[in-house]
Amino acid sequence: MPELDDSERNELQNTVARLLADRSSESDVRKTMETETGFDPALWQLLAEMGIVGLLIDEQFGGYGAGAMEIERVMEEVGAALLCSPLLASAVLAASVLGASGDDDAQRRLLPDMAKGTSIATIALTGTEGSWTPEGVAVRAESNGTDWTLSGTASFVIHGQNADVVLVVANTEQGTALFQVEPSELGTAIRALPTFDHTLRLAEIEFAATKAQLIGEDGNGWPAVEQGLNLTRVALAGEQAGGARRVLDMTVEYAKNRVQFGRAIGSFQAIKHMAADLLLESESATSAARHAAMSLASTSDDAEPAISLAGFACADAFSAVTAASIQMHGGIGFTWEHPAHLYLRRARADAQLFGTPMFYRERYIQQLGG
Amino acid sequence: MSEASGDNPASVSNDAIRDEVQSWLADNWDPEAMKKGAFGPLGRDWTAKVVDAAWAATRWPKQWYGRDYNDAQARIVETEFARVGAPGTGQDRINLWANTVLTFGNEQFKKKYVPALLKSEINMCLLYSEPGAGSDLAGLRTRAERDGDEWVVNGQKVWTSGAATADYGMLVARTDWESPKHGGISFFFCPMKQPGVEVRPLRQITNESHFNEVFLTDVRIPATNLLGPLNGGWRVLQTALAYERSMMGEGARGPRSGAKGASEKGEEELIALAREAGRLSDPVLRQDIARVIAYKKLNALNTARAKAELEQGTSSPIMSLGKLAMSRILHEEAKLRTNLLDAGSLLESSDYPRAEDANFLTLNAYFTSIGGGTDQIQRNIIGERVLGLPKEPEVDRDVPFRSVRSS
Repeated sequence: MPELDDSERNELQNTVARLLADRSSESDVRKTMETETGFDPALWQLLAEMGIVGLLIDEQFGGYGAGAMEIERVMEEVGAALLCSPLLASAVLAASVLGASGDDDAQRRLLPDMAKGTSIATIALTGTEGSWTPEGVAVRAESNGTDWTLSGTASFVIHGQNADVVLVVANTEQGTALFQVEPSELGTAIRALPTFDHTLRLAEIEFAATKAQLIGEDGNGWPAVEQGLNLTRVALAGEQAGGARRVLDMTVEYAKNRVQFGRAIGSFQAIKHMAADLLLESESATSAARHAAMSLASTSDDAEPAISLAGFACADAFSAVTAASIQMHGGIGFTWEHPAHLYLRRARADAQLFGTPMFYRERYIQQLGG
Repeated sequence: MSEASGDNPASVSNDAIRDEVQSWLADNWDPEAMKKGAFGPLGRDWTAKVVDAAWAATRWPKQWYGRDYNDAQARIVETEFARVGAPGTGQDRINLWANTVLTFGNEQFKKKYVPALLKSEINMCLLYSEPGAGSDLAGLRTRAERDGDEWVVNGQKVWTSGAATADYGMLVARTDWESPKHGGISFFFCPMKQPGVEVRPLRQITNESHFNEVFLTDVRIPATNLLGPLNGGWRVLQTALAYERSMMGEGARGPRSGAKGASEKGEEELIALAREAGRLSDPVLRQDIARVIAYKKLNALNTARAKAELEQGTSSPIMSLGKLAMSRILHEEAKLRTNLLDAGSLLESSDYPRAEDANFLTLNAYFTSIGGGTDQIQRNIIGERVLGLPKEPEVDRDVPFRSVRSS
């Protein structure tokens, strides 16, 4: 796909917004989050037909070959609508790691079905400590010269229980490498984890001399993983910025309509000042996410710190806005029926995946030379 | 006055504008001459040249020293001036005096003052706040009474910078005590060099004196110096205040030793300070440093995004956030600089420049969080004008001003 300009990106974002307004309403989200798989296969197929699932996949494999700036905009709407789907796991993280792996055979074998949405992929890359870094890799790979086997535990595997393609990052004698295992080899070794964010699906996988296929080069797997992680972090930042904006809009709307003491509560400065501060958080998150996307797309020197900045600014903004939203709604915000807690749960999950705000702040100061 | 080619500005190509401004600068701009003072005191001769060549306010109409440029075209001119370090352009954005006169003055008044204000030939000051009217500026009690062809003014103003050297002050005064408070205010262009004007410097918490109290006793203003309609001064004031606030969001003074504004400082400076203090390995401070650097960076990104959106013709809510963001940056940076020093911050004087920086910033941060509208007023503005939240009921809104309670 030729590079989009800003108005085409706006149009892409609006198209996704319209679809999700129609198919991922609050009641859709509540219905879907109670299902076992945690996503709506019909909506997933629609997203695939629209080209969203294949957005980041190269054109030669049936995708659209778009990049960070496009997926960031799509994810703003995903966050706003609390979409339940394996988009981040399959279409973003797995697709971009595979795309960076340099393994032509694996790409040819896996990416076309992933782009069509007929196969869902995920990556197992951290252990039970939940650190998305080389040190966090807790699976060990061994080779008898021809065949590979994996041992150890991988956790927080996003949509692992729904995956047709399970990629695994493991340590070898040479360093780090990427593998693929067949779900049929795993059986009961793959276990769904109960998640605080009910719109999210996580799994834990126990490998016990499980047969695996090497993807890319032995010992040099991490750079592709890091490349995919960075794109995923930008996408997640977009989700957080979009979620923050939607929750702020919802809260401001409530403050205009809820009357106490004979006046709309939004006329009280106690509420109005909170809303003004949250607007600063929410707009800053959008700026940070879009700046990170642009820096990554243009491969500028600034990309690494821009991603770290978005990593904590967007997570903190989404957390702050969703937390304050419950308080500003008062009693109704404390009920299960109100959507405020669904966003708070998503914000808390997003603030853990791929790195915490503290992790990103430490990385940021290092990247700036400190 | 204008050398712009063609009648319809939209027909002037960007390249043609760039060529014209580049060649004009090549023929006229001389940074060495500016340094040596060859362009007169404060470079006024240079500014006059820029005004006469119609580069000072290119968005303005041709008959008022402009070129009828749109924003994108004007930015080209500003970019070219900035590239060679030449001042004087972009006054249609930042010269609050000239903008106010252009918007609200009559033809004769504009002819007299617009060129002088663009060329900085006259010095100006603001006569807005009063001891009893700070955040609630519309509660002002300085009175102007008509006497023949003149107005006679009595009252007290405060927080006026440049009052001692000003030729004129932009004054708001009450001209009708029977109307509710916003409806009885008029806006004047007040001559400062007269006996009834007494200026006393105010000493700030920073031990500096940038502001004055101004006592007005039977001060006389020609009736022609009324800007905007009689009793319609509140709207004139809003326009002038908007310029002032947007200027405060774009830059503010940092630590005392720093020449640049806080928002323009390099990201590395705080890291270097921590290293110098031997504290760079402290994990808590590292988190705080990252946080403060991020506040600055995010404000710059917000401003850049707002400008881009404005250029695309969409209005942006972000502009109004800049001042609030800057206030947080300054207060948080002050805390961080203090934490990097610990007991070192007990000291002052030029022998302890790091302590001076931290302590000055701690105090001067209030300049931004109070001046030009407190953070609390700014949050009201954002809540009401950007987010559309309802206003607080105002008990004095529809009451004749004469019966409004004051402290």
